[in-house]
Amino acid sequence: MSVMTFLKIFAGGLANVLAVLLLAPLFEGILRKVTAVIQSRQGPPLWQPYFDLLKLLGKEDIESGESPWMQRLAAYLSLGAVLTVAWMVPMGYAPPLSPAGDAILLIYLLGLCAISTLLAGLAAGSTYSLLGISREMMTVITLEPLFAVALVIGAVHTGTLRLEAVLSGSVYAAAGFPWSGILMLGIMLLSFQAFVQRVPFDISEAETEIMEGPLVEYSGPKLALFKYAQMAKLVLYGALFVALFVPWGAGLPWYCSVPLFWLKVGVLVLLVTLVAATHARYRIDQALRYYVILLGVALVALVLASNGY
Amino acid sequence: MASRDILHQLKQRFGAALPRANVAGLDRLYVFVTPEALKDVCQFIFRDLDARYIISIGADDRPYSGKFLVAHNFAFDARHVLCSVLTEVNANGGRPQVPSITEVVPPANWAEREFRDLVGIEPVGHRYPKRLVLPDGWPEGVHPLRKDVPHDFCPPDYDENRDFQFEAPPEGCVVVPFGPFHPTLDEPTHFRLYVEGETVRGCEYRGFMAHRGIEKLAETVLGYNDIPMMAERICGICGCVHNVAYAQAVENAAAIVVPPRAEYIRTIMLELERLHSHLLWVGLACHIVGFDTLFMQAFRIREPVMWMAEQISGNRKTYSLCVIGGVRWEITPELRTGLRQVLDKLEAEWQAVVAAVSRDRNLQRRTRGVGIATPELVKNAALIGPVARAAGVAMDCRRDHPYAAYDRVEFEVIVEHGGDVWSRVVVRMKEVFESIKIIRQCLDKMEPGPLQAEIKDELPPGRFGMSSVEAPRGESHHFVITGENNRPRRWRVRAPTYQNLQGIPAMIKDQQLADMTISLGSIDPCFSCTDRLEVVDIRNQQTHVWSQEELVRLARRKT
Repeated sequence: MSVMTFLKIFAGGLANVLAVLLLAPLFEGILRKVTAVIQSRQGPPLWQPYFDLLKLLGKEDIESGESPWMQRLAAYLSLGAVLTVAWMVPMGYAPPLSPAGDAILLIYLLGLCAISTLLAGLAAGSTYSLLGISREMMTVITLEPLFAVALVIGAVHTGTLRLEAVLSGSVYAAAGFPWSGILMLGIMLLSFQAFVQRVPFDISEAETEIMEGPLVEYSGPKLALFKYAQMAKLVLYGALFVALFVPWGAGLPWYCSVPLFWLKVGVLVLLVTLVAATHARYRIDQALRYYVILLGVALVALVLASNGY
Repeated sequence: MASRDILHQLKQRFGAALPRANVAGLDRLYVFVTPEALKDVCQFIFRDLDARYIISIGADDRPYSGKFLVAHNFAFDARHVLCSVLTEVNANGGRPQVPSITEVVPPANWAEREFRDLVGIEPVGHRYPKRLVLPDGWPEGVHPLRKDVPHDFCPPDYDENRDFQFEAPPEGCVVVPFGPFHPTLDEPTHFRLYVEGETVRGCEYRGFMAHRGIEKLAETVLGYNDIPMMAERICGICGCVHNVAYAQAVENAAAIVVPPRAEYIRTIMLELERLHSHLLWVGLACHIVGFDTLFMQAFRIREPVMWMAEQISGNRKTYSLCVIGGVRWEITPELRTGLRQVLDKLEAEWQAVVAAVSRDRNLQRRTRGVGIATPELVKNAALIGPVARAAGVAMDCRRDHPYAAYDRVEFEVIVEHGGDVWSRVVVRMKEVFESIKIIRQCLDKMEPGPLQAEIKDELPPGRFGMSSVEAPRGESHHFVITGENNRPRRWRVRAPTYQNLQGIPAMIKDQQLADMTISLGSIDPCFSCTDRLEVVDIRNQQTHVWSQEELVRLARRKT
């Protein structure tokens, strides 16, 4: 790898990270504003999430959990993992890290985001956070395989695990009619809410039941990192979803394709908002039943994909 | 005469064990019983005559009769009679003892522990005589509701560091503290849950952390007409209920007849209160299960009701409605028109909400089969209000023990049979329409006349009075013994949550932890709010008190 390629990857990655960091609170702001409109409220200004993060970052850093170093690690890990994912996600253009990474790495990194929440809960050591991570664990086990299946279907269709090839609509690249891709699109639409942990799937945080669960002992800057990571997750999962399942228009010149891409992500965020505003929170057993059904259908899609559909 | 019939039945069965009785009208009965026969009489009333247990009262009667007094109150809902079984207990050198009835009347559990704490009458044979009301550090042998204890007394050997001794949790369970401060509780109370995985196996309760000593204050400091204004501060939501219930209890004791117009106004205010309480509750229940949109909409719909209350009484809450013998606010023709408009709008908007909620499968999945109270539990924990009605027990004080103008209006007692949280949601949603109906009838039928009865002489001491008022959450019961110095000798308030809370352990047993909040929420715990604001700038130490205009502008700025 030449120095030029390295610099290109590096600059591109930083650009991606910056884009995510700047856009995430904006999308959160849109989400809040639209929720407020649905609820007949005025709602906070669009840029309120930026202020919230700044305020939290400026607060005193209190360490109240059982093992502070693990708490610190978990907070850095959560945002770190999410921002690393940002290097591998196409945002209307090819992902910067694509020559180095493959789909497996992406799956691992997404898993790491969930693990950071588990670590946070363990480090806090309070009853509520332990309840929260037991719920989170159950969710991770049944939910995370869905995204992996989607990526593997892409890989099966293209015959490679390289990121560039797997992302950008490869789920539809079947030999015949892309049954598996269409099926997966449905599944991911139904489970997207759960991936970004919004109502009705905010079960592991559930403020009115277990008081934010794993995050119960967090405050100040570390809480800001977690909140930031959560906002970034919405953007990143949105971007991944759009790249994988709604790739149409990616071939246009960049000044068309990039705005179109973010427009699609924006529509997805609106969809998330709408679902969140019109649903009551599920109980963990109800949610698990829901995930398991989706997982079963996803496996059917995988079988279809490996048979060339 | 219903009350005479009951007395006759009791006399036939127990004869000599009833030294005297007082039939205070068609619907009130006071029976004195010897302590030895107390348990049997209560069992007979509770089991054989199938009466509903209301509350027990302990009183220090030594300055007047040299004895202590214990009263167990029961309600014969079908026969429209409130009955009090009284026992005089020997002072026994300051350590009075009375046989416990908890074994035969299980819902008396808390009330007996309470008079053990506050008055120092020992319920002999109580299976669980743990401290209930007094703080943990309070020394043994000091009982604040005795007449020789001043209202502002704090014992010198008060031990701040003493802890409550909880029972050991069952094997294989972890302890999850629920409260004292939990985001959905909004007031301090503590459930110590025994949780196995996600399943609640049991719990122990320790509450009464914000005991304000209101009864003591009424017995030592305030006068008859001051107490209604304090009574409504018992609860932030059903304040008017306590206000009316207290006034009625005193009127009942002193045989004061309230003018009809005042009765209609009381009815209207009580129903306005039920309206905004139910709207608030439906919103809150939705918030608890994470459905914030309906929470916001319910509060938006509720707001005009609060404005109406403010136009009538000057306050959104704490209306200061009653004095003994009448009310203080008039409903003028303009208010009447305004009220009708508010009701029309409310009815239309609420129909939309009810339609939306009834169709919402997601919400039903969270509430059906959750927090079940069976009719047996309703009987044995003396559950009341929407909780009882949702379990198929048709009881409503407005119909069973009519007061104010409820005997002159028509309404339906809403009953559901599921016994779960969903049934309680349905009951409350439908009751909103009944309340609207009642207020409309009152507005039609209200007759002109005075607002207050003229009371020329002082109220006679030593008389008993009982009053049950159907609060939004269930029956609020007030028991008064009139006294000297223009104030009652003993005043006992039983708010609905007091009984309903005792049903919670059975309602949450063997269900998911996630359902705990909505189960507890379904009996409607309450919270108060402040309405004055002072802002201190810490940089230059300037204070600024917000004026009413500023606050109103702030609160009502179009959102």
